[in-house]
Amino acid sequence: MLSNLADFFSSGSNLVFFAFALFIIGGAIFMISFTKVVHMVISMAFTFLSLGGLYILLEAEFVAFVQVLIYAGAISILMIFGIMLTNHQEQEEDEVKRPLHNTLLGLGVLALFGILFYAIQTSEFPAQTAVLSENNTMEIGMRIFTAHVIPFELMSVLLTVAFIGAIVVAKREED
Amino acid sequence: MTGWLPGPITWQSFTLYFLVSVAFLLVILGYVTYAIYFERKVIGWMQGRHGPNRVGPLGLLQTVADVAKLLIKEDTIPKKAQRDLFILAPVISFVPSFVVLATIPFTETLYFADLNVGILYYVALSSISTIGIILGGWASNNKYALLGGMRSAAQMISYEIPLVISVVGVIMLSGSLQLSAIVEGQSGGFWNWNFLPQIIGFIVFIVAAVSELNRTPFDLPEAESELVAGYHVEYSGFRFAFFMLAEYVYVFAIASLTTVLFLGGWHPPFPFLDFIPGILWFLLKFSFVVFFLFWLRATFPRVRVDQLMGLGWKVLLPLSLVNIFITAIVYEIFFR
Repeated sequence: MLSNLADFFSSGSNLVFFAFALFIIGGAIFMISFTKVVHMVISMAFTFLSLGGLYILLEAEFVAFVQVLIYAGAISILMIFGIMLTNHQEQEEDEVKRPLHNTLLGLGVLALFGILFYAIQTSEFPAQTAVLSENNTMEIGMRIFTAHVIPFELMSVLLTVAFIGAIVVAKREED
Repeated sequence: MTGWLPGPITWQSFTLYFLVSVAFLLVILGYVTYAIYFERKVIGWMQGRHGPNRVGPLGLLQTVADVAKLLIKEDTIPKKAQRDLFILAPVISFVPSFVVLATIPFTETLYFADLNVGILYYVALSSISTIGIILGGWASNNKYALLGGMRSAAQMISYEIPLVISVVGVIMLSGSLQLSAIVEGQSGGFWNWNFLPQIIGFIVFIVAAVSELNRTPFDLPEAESELVAGYHVEYSGFRFAFFMLAEYVYVFAIASLTTVLFLGGWHPPFPFLDFIPGILWFLLKFSFVVFFLFWLRATFPRVRVDQLMGLGWKVLLPLSLVNIFITAIVYEIFFR
């Protein structure tokens, strides 16, 4: 088991993966534990950007930059809503101490980690067979507009319907 | 510079690449220094003034003196500001502005990373700067700064959409998201440059780009007369300098991008002129775009905030969509 770990850390791309994974998990944890909305949004931005990094590691540049484009834009908007819709008065919440809950929680987390770690270490991953296309962005475009054109169009219609629905709902509240 | 990135990273190639990047950063800083000088000179001349002419010969050291002043100024952080975010905000808004330059091809051989999703890379990373601006406005804990940050976010998000959609026509004509392939498709004389077949896209792109840069006539986020100075009102010293630096590096980036997408990159306007090296043509077109931005600043009044949003959503967005349809129809009928 330990030799696996040594192998893992000897490769450069695995180190990069480790750094990104750390950022993703760290961002997600801080997102939950921070109390100010803006701080939470910033840690979420960290998570999304690091996810983009993981996609680059998988040689999916298109997905990576679309991830950054859409989620970074969403982050700014989320931040604006966070600032506008929450109140900024500092309020201290007195935490209730529950030692039994915390102990059980810790045990559960450890058990889950143990199971996942054991399962991943013992399972065999078949070697990758499909060859990635050299120009995979072009390949995505080709696939979307030939083989998968109907699901693609249906998704567009669904998004448009949701969009118009949102406007209608907002209009009705205005009247 | 071409063969390094795909190869494995060794300490040698890493060091070399790092040094080249630092050299490029210094070039950018030099550019920013003199862009500010020329901006003040050009605006001065257009308004019948001399512009800076005291520090150094012809005032050439004026910006150097200004930067030195900014760097040795006291760095103040307001007591009630969110200290960590206040420090982080200028960094978040500067870093993407420099990172986007990595994908811009200056000539056939002079580029850093010729990504096959070049345009997407530029657009994606430049949108991160908005976070830095809102963050700066919010962390200052000052209502003027917050208003400036909010305005800036609304403006940048609204104008990013027409900016991206106006480029789609260019992508359709060249069939690639790779910037060097787009330039390659414009070779052989100025009648092949994209700004002629894509004239609607070009105009929408320029207007949206000026707005993305927060420059006059769209400089509402820092409208001095209404907002004191906008999102960076509480910043001083080198943190303020970083916000300004980010703004001017984006001028560099947008001018380069305009040259690459619409003005034929390193290609000469006539084929018989190609004995002149490509980098000179690139610099010439690039300087013209930068001058054009200064020209706009000297001659246009500022628009009102409601006019700004109306222009973005009701004029530029439909125009850029129409541009896509026209491009697709014409391309299908005549070029296939």
